[in-house]
Amino acid sequence: MEYELTSEDRNATFVVLPAYNEATRIQPVIESIADKGYNMVIVNDGSSDNTLDVILDSKRKYPDKIHVYSLMINRGVGIATQTGFDAVLKYDPKYVVSMDSDGQHSADDLDNVITPLVTGQAHAVIGVRPLKDMPFTRNFANAIMNLLTRIFYGVNVSDSQTGFRAITQDALKKIKINARGYLISSEFIREVNDKNIPFAEVPIQTIYTPETQAKGTNVKEALKILIQMIKHQF
Amino acid sequence: MLLYSILFPIISILAILWFVYRYMKQKQSLITVILWTVLWMFVILFSIFPKASERFASLFGITRGLDFIIIAVFLVLFYIIFGLFNKIDILNDEINKIVKEVAINNEISLDDEEDE
Repeated sequence: MEYELTSEDRNATFVVLPAYNEATRIQPVIESIADKGYNMVIVNDGSSDNTLDVILDSKRKYPDKIHVYSLMINRGVGIATQTGFDAVLKYDPKYVVSMDSDGQHSADDLDNVITPLVTGQAHAVIGVRPLKDMPFTRNFANAIMNLLTRIFYGVNVSDSQTGFRAITQDALKKIKINARGYLISSEFIREVNDKNIPFAEVPIQTIYTPETQAKGTNVKEALKILIQMIKHQF
Repeated sequence: MLLYSILFPIISILAILWFVYRYMKQKQSLITVILWTVLWMFVILFSIFPKASERFASLFGITRGLDFIIIAVFLVLFYIIFGLFNKIDILNDEINKIVKEVAINNEISLDDEEDE
């Protein structure tokens, strides 16, 4: 029988949203998450547009659901997510999710990634994007990154570059993330594997638009990550 | 006497004095000053006695003195770039730490915004 999440489960969950120049896209993402009853820690990554104002507009609508932090200068998705992971512990959440704030991920998938944590099947979950929907360059870069994650970190996963991940508070306290940029995705998987944290993959939907495709792991980012992975070996 | 054999020693002496000055002001470690002084001494030596480079070249199995100087310059530049890269990396980590800490200790509330 399938487990039905309760409002307590959702209330005990905090979604970390790193946001860089997402003024035109972030509002529906925040509000769809808040409407489902989840809490949020939103980290403005030194955006040069009015992302912070848009986030605060949403906070006025859901003052108790949204906690806002802002990096004074842009430091990359890895640092923004690390900030979110550190800040979220102040609220003593049971479960922590991180997802993209550009509308690429759907709030409808939150229940799916949380369920294995609530039922105890896993203590960490990654949302796996459908490869068939992925643009060719993204798909190619992702295949390379999966291979590199396997070679350098010894972990075999279907989607090493997903930004949709969930973890219990205890497991979050065990892992150590140092990545500054998109390496965070592979590093999260490596840490979960190294710390023997029970782990699951859950299929998620991905909404690709020209704007969401402009961000994320493309071939150039994959090369940067490769250099960082080599560096981390020493 | 060629122009470079006058110019390079002057530049080298000024550079050595600059490193010593920085050492006196405690902006440079003694080992760094010694290494740079040795390097500039070689520049003085090769500028005044270009034939000396051939002696050093033959020590490393290089036939021409000029080739030895070019290779040595490349190695020094590579070392400097590597050092700078490392320093930038450390600075980046420190900046990240500060930026993160400042953000975590300053949750943005709606009251803050209204006060502004």
